Amino acid sequence: MSNPSRKFLAWLIPALCLLFVASAVFRALNSEKGYHFKEFAALPVVSNGRVQPLDSLARNALLAIVGKQRVPGDDTLGSPAEWLAELCFRPEIADERKIFLIHHDEILGLTGLTRSEEKTYSYSQILPSFQAIQPEARRIGAKEPQTRTPYEKALMRLTRNLGIYNQLKHALAHPGQEDAEAEFESFLSNSSAVSGLQNWASFTEVYAVPSGKGADGWRKLPDSVIDAIQAGEIHPASLAYARIGDAYRSSDPVAFNKSVAAYGTWLHGNRSVQLSKSSSEAVFNRVAPFYLCMVLYVVTFLCAIISWLWQGSIFRQAAFRTLLIGLALHTAGLIIRMLLEGRPPVTNLYSSAVFIGWGTIVLSIALELFYRNAIGTAVAAMVGFGTLLIAHHLSLSGDTLEMMRAVLDTNFWLATHVVVITLGYSANFLAGFIAIFYLMFRLFGSIPKPTANSLRGMVYGVICFATLFSFVGTVLGGIWADQSWGRFWGWDPKENGALLIVIWNAIILHARWGGMVKERGMMVMAVFGNIVTSWSWFGTNMLGIGLHSYGFTDAAFVWLSGFVISQLIIMGLGYIPRKAVA
Amino acid sequence: MPVFKLLSSLRLTVTLLVLAMLLIFVATLSQVHLGIHEVQLLYFRSWIAWWDVIPGEKTFSLPLPGGTLLGILLITNILAAHGARFQLRWSKAGMIVIHSGILIMLLGEILTGFLGKEAQMPIDEGQTVNYSLFPREVELVVVVPDGVGAETVTAIPQGRLEDGAEFPMAGFTLKIHKFYRNSEIVPEEKATPEFEKVRATEGVGKRYAVRRKGRETKMDRRDLSTAYVEIIPDGEKSQGRWLLSNAFKGEEKYEAAGKTWKMSIRQRRLYHPFSIKLLDFSHDRYLGTNVPKNFSSKIRIINSETGEDREDLIYMNHPLRYSGLTFYQSGFDNNDSTSIFQVVRNPVWTLPYISCAMVGLGLLWVFSQHLIKAVSRRNKVTAS
Repeated sequence: MSNPSRKFLAWLIPALCLLFVASAVFRALNSEKGYHFKEFAALPVVSNGRVQPLDSLARNALLAIVGKQRVPGDDTLGSPAEWLAELCFRPEIADERKIFLIHHDEILGLTGLTRSEEKTYSYSQILPSFQAIQPEARRIGAKEPQTRTPYEKALMRLTRNLGIYNQLKHALAHPGQEDAEAEFESFLSNSSAVSGLQNWASFTEVYAVPSGKGADGWRKLPDSVIDAIQAGEIHPASLAYARIGDAYRSSDPVAFNKSVAAYGTWLHGNRSVQLSKSSSEAVFNRVAPFYLCMVLYVVTFLCAIISWLWQGSIFRQAAFRTLLIGLALHTAGLIIRMLLEGRPPVTNLYSSAVFIGWGTIVLSIALELFYRNAIGTAVAAMVGFGTLLIAHHLSLSGDTLEMMRAVLDTNFWLATHVVVITLGYSANFLAGFIAIFYLMFRLFGSIPKPTANSLRGMVYGVICFATLFSFVGTVLGGIWADQSWGRFWGWDPKENGALLIVIWNAIILHARWGGMVKERGMMVMAVFGNIVTSWSWFGTNMLGIGLHSYGFTDAAFVWLSGFVISQLIIMGLGYIPRKAVA
Repeated sequence: MPVFKLLSSLRLTVTLLVLAMLLIFVATLSQVHLGIHEVQLLYFRSWIAWWDVIPGEKTFSLPLPGGTLLGILLITNILAAHGARFQLRWSKAGMIVIHSGILIMLLGEILTGFLGKEAQMPIDEGQTVNYSLFPREVELVVVVPDGVGAETVTAIPQGRLEDGAEFPMAGFTLKIHKFYRNSEIVPEEKATPEFEKVRATEGVGKRYAVRRKGRETKMDRRDLSTAYVEIIPDGEKSQGRWLLSNAFKGEEKYEAAGKTWKMSIRQRRLYHPFSIKLLDFSHDRYLGTNVPKNFSSKIRIINSETGEDREDLIYMNHPLRYSGLTFYQSGFDNNDSTSIFQVVRNPVWTLPYISCAMVGLGLLWVFSQHLIKAVSRRNKVTAS
């Protein structure tokens, strides 16, 4: 192949990827015909203690209930916000959508539902058995979460999902509402409406009306109408939602768009900071940069693999450039999240997954620039994809931009301890995955000496880096604990997990220096480092004790066990003698 | 010397570190059943740790070297290794700094175990308090007015509260009929056959039944220590049996030797030479949730010795360091009208800070050397 055409090929794949990203951003920003749901989705409300767009409210609810960001079944609903509009303003239609997953026989028995093919049921199908579900939920709620049976957990999940559904349904209107504007007007001269409104307010924890001052200056829509009865004037936000709802109910997109736009203008004049924050978050949700990153990392990984088999330098360069696009997008995603939250990058388990992937990629790029053999790129793509996949599954448990508990509310320690320790995780996974590549290469053919040398250098260098970051991160955590709780070290599971990583890194280095292990031994030890790191990251949270236990899921336990077993198998494969392999 | 060679070997380092990992891992798992406090004593502050392989049942235990033993061996190993290979060269300086830092950290942890104290100070709004409580220890106190407006307090520490123990006082003997380190107390009518048959004959505890329980493992709960005590005036027969417990508020009163005495079981106290008054406690939550946003306690420190009388604010991540003690905002109670401080005395609290800086800089130094070497090696290869 001639030189210019080689150059062209090495740019072609990254260029296509860039186009793919650009089109996704364009689609997210582009306005739509008919109902302007994107503008509706950007409207701010307070839920879960923070200002967020209706878009996030709807998405997080769907993620919790369905596990996806869209309504299953026929594709008539384009976006989560569209479903929210339907749920609030035409609940009789939303109630028929089969979105509640029930696959436990005991729950089917309890609710008297018959087993259906798709295992999903609508709200109106479940409604008649509320009488049976509620006392069961109360009984189970009194039990310690760890002692619940699978049936009890499934029932609690169903109850929680029905709760979320009801919260949203009552956020912007109440079921049975026909002409909301006229209804609110009539309430002004009718103080006996208050008890009905109070009942409505008890169904929702969504604060839709920006009324009052400060961070807590928000009211629930029904409460705001009660205020109006006393003040003699309906709040512009309440009136706006009434008109938006009325327009939606009478299938009038023009009136809908006009009311949404008018409310947007009012917000721009009165709550511009919160409006711009919520619109940014809505756009961020629609662009879904981390999802795009996952696609780019798959492309990167494939290019890197191809580069080892055919046309090495072209595909190595293509892989590296695609990885850089992915990193740029990944970084942008992280920065936008930081701006939205006003926090350092890692605030919960979800963001730790996103950041571990990011850290691994940055470190790998340094390795790739140094060694130029596409191994760093391939490992970066693999870990980047894996951690974003984990992040996606973690996002199913709720709002990923949640507010920080008081005890964690310190940007200084979040920015130092948490960031440093998470970079330590990144480095450990990077070393572990490079070692996996080494062991796999060895299994499927002999490794040329220069490649073996560079792999050894990479793993050793990354372990040194991991030791530094894990140690400093762990001790900074101790210092934070000394500042906040009065003890430097409490042998809490998460602290122990972090210490295990530090000790394991120290063991690898000392064993190597003492000549106790050679190249292959160090690789096997680095793979075990994956197990130690994943234990610290996830395993310790599953014990349900200590100050750090902030995320427990059963599914995660199964996946963690699977990961540990896979790593043990790889370590075992590393000890198959070369002769048997050949 | 073969012993010195063994003590200074890298093989010993690796072996000790592997054992440390094993100990830490097993201790983490054991926390589910034993709680953090017990695990600290059994695994980390011990010479030999006995690990219950099947948790909860003491059927099959394996010995592991405990934290104290491993810590001392590691210190010996580091000292021996550096003693054997000590060279005053810049290239070795990093390693020396790192290992000195680790020595300081290990020493700090061991010293904290011996010198550190942890107590709690629950304090109501408006209340002034001059003591902290040890949440995991009780004492039995006998109080008598001394006639000039003050009181004489006799405190019997938990370690001496044993079934049948007798304590002679001025004019009577206090006899511990039965002592329960942790117990469950229920009204008499709710007692099942597992509860003790014995009842108090005097005081508020008359209508209650008691049974023994295992020690509390949850961090946020404390043991309910309970005792049946008898008062036997000198040369007379028993005045009756009282039920004392830290579950009951207030004291029991009785007459002996012509005076009115009071007694109770309460958390062991650590008295301070100053008082703290809680002016205001606030606890904000995020709108529409139960997630705490902020806790803070406005207090007044009153010290008659130094004449101090000033206000201060204790809140999350901002403790008060005063007179060798540190007060941390740790909790709240009674509908946000009680604030709970963690009170800690740790004279070696600065050691981890020094150690962290030393090890961090040392590692940076050593690994930068590695990196520079690797880069120059590669440049040589590329050049040739």
